Amino acid sequence: MPTGSAASAGTAAATSAPAASRPSPAPAGRGRGKGRGRRPILLLELRSQLPGYVRWLLAALGLAAVFALWLWAASRPSRTVIVPSPGDTWTALRELWTDGLLWSDLTASGERILYGYSISMAIGIVLGVAMGSLLAVEATFEAPIAFMRYVPAAALTPLMMSWLGIDESPKITLIVLGTVFFNVLMVGDVARAVPRELIEASYTLGARRTTVLGRIVFRHSLPGIIDVARINLAAAWLMLVVSELLAANEGLAFRIIKAQRFKNYDTMFAVLLVFGVVGVVTDLALRWLRNLSSPWARP
Amino acid sequence: MTGAMRKLEITGLTKTFPGRRKAPPVEALGGVDLHVDEGELVSLIGTSGCGKSTLLRIVGGLERADGGEVLVDGEPVIGPGPDRGMIFQGYSLFPWLTVAGNINFGLKLAGVPSGRRSQRVAELLGVMGLAEHAGRLPRELSGGMRQRVAIARALAPEPDVLLLDEPFGALDAQTRLSMHEFLRSVWHRTGATILMVTHDVDEAVYLSRRVYVMHAHPGRIVDEVQLPFEPGLGPSIKRSPQFLDIRDEIHEALVSEDAAEREPASSS
Repeated sequence: MPTGSAASAGTAAATSAPAASRPSPAPAGRGRGKGRGRRPILLLELRSQLPGYVRWLLAALGLAAVFALWLWAASRPSRTVIVPSPGDTWTALRELWTDGLLWSDLTASGERILYGYSISMAIGIVLGVAMGSLLAVEATFEAPIAFMRYVPAAALTPLMMSWLGIDESPKITLIVLGTVFFNVLMVGDVARAVPRELIEASYTLGARRTTVLGRIVFRHSLPGIIDVARINLAAAWLMLVVSELLAANEGLAFRIIKAQRFKNYDTMFAVLLVFGVVGVVTDLALRWLRNLSSPWARP
Repeated sequence: MTGAMRKLEITGLTKTFPGRRKAPPVEALGGVDLHVDEGELVSLIGTSGCGKSTLLRIVGGLERADGGEVLVDGEPVIGPGPDRGMIFQGYSLFPWLTVAGNINFGLKLAGVPSGRRSQRVAELLGVMGLAEHAGRLPRELSGGMRQRVAIARALAPEPDVLLLDEPFGALDAQTRLSMHEFLRSVWHRTGATILMVTHDVDEAVYLSRRVYVMHAHPGRIVDEVQLPFEPGLGPSIKRSPQFLDIRDEIHEALVSEDAAEREPASSS
């Protein structure tokens, strides 16, 4: 198609007549097509925008692909790798619900997460904001936290059980230990990113240090802190599973262990589904909370 | 000098930044004296790195001097405070607060009762031409409008001195020109005492009553120019021969530094 060098692909047809009357463009040196530059290709442009319907279409395609993979795996006859069909999984899920087990497991696990992760976030916010704002605090805590961060929290499970027994406290402690160091460091990064000008402007408007910490540094960090909470929540669930695998009477991970004893693969799959759904729901809820609390920080 | 009251007085101000790694220390200010009278608009002009922003930050209390003295109304400056309002180059508005909320911020800290506060905010919104944008967030405003909010916010607690650190440096040329008119009108209406740092000669000559020219290494004042223009004359004065002469004189004063830097042997 004879297009002028400046004409885009979309208007090529419209410009073909004037292009013909112009001197023909110089022979393309490097490109394969006619005209200068590299022609954009739909879906392959880095960092470019996509029309809304294309996004939804691709998202649906991704989910459909996973579901198809599941169907295929379930239909494959195998004596060792037994995959329950989506239908069986759904039945198992309904049974868990009607027995009331799903609800009691959800609340038991949810409560552990709630307590453990709230403590972890509280420490993360206070220490993180202080570390991001005061070099003295950062210098004091950076080394011990960097060290503790590399000690796998799951490796502390036996120790926690010998110290704290097998009831709720070791489980909550493990959730705290598995997330708090990440929370502190990441909140610290968020607080450090508060523009210096904002802090200085508030000083020149008469704000004191504590006011600046609360009203400026914390306020500016809030959307970032909610994002940190959102990202590290996955690690909290990981620690919950570790703690429930070892000693529990109820809880989502306990349900999986129990199902394993009876080879109830459909129940195991049902609980895995619940994990995924709960994760996505809390993720969306925290995103919503971030946008609600800080509409100015929306990307 | 004039009999006007000295609002801001700086004497023998020195500041040296330690060099990074093995680099030698940088003498940002090597004994600077200057003053701003009550209700005067004074500019401090110099090439980047001459220490003019450091000087302003010291006056604002955001940086500490090594030696010398900064007096506001005869009292030494020891830290930041609402008596010295500061306006930065950009990005200093609180993004979660509306225009009115930003202007209100300093008043609230000062403990002004809420009735007086909303009255003062409304008044400033009017003066700044921001009334219809009171409920907007900073990210919804243009660059020029944001700087107007920043000026209103700094003026709200009625500071003794207003410090402007290249306030229009990040704006496009057209917006900058309209902000010049805006600053002039604010200055006339409020009678504020203003010290402005800039590297734009036209800006300094057009807006100020007096201009200090700074040279670097160490930062020092090399020239002081009193401007003869009647306040209140419009942008037409920019084409008057007198304006052009003064502009050239200041340009020369600035350039002489470059010559001195290129040939250190010839410098006095």
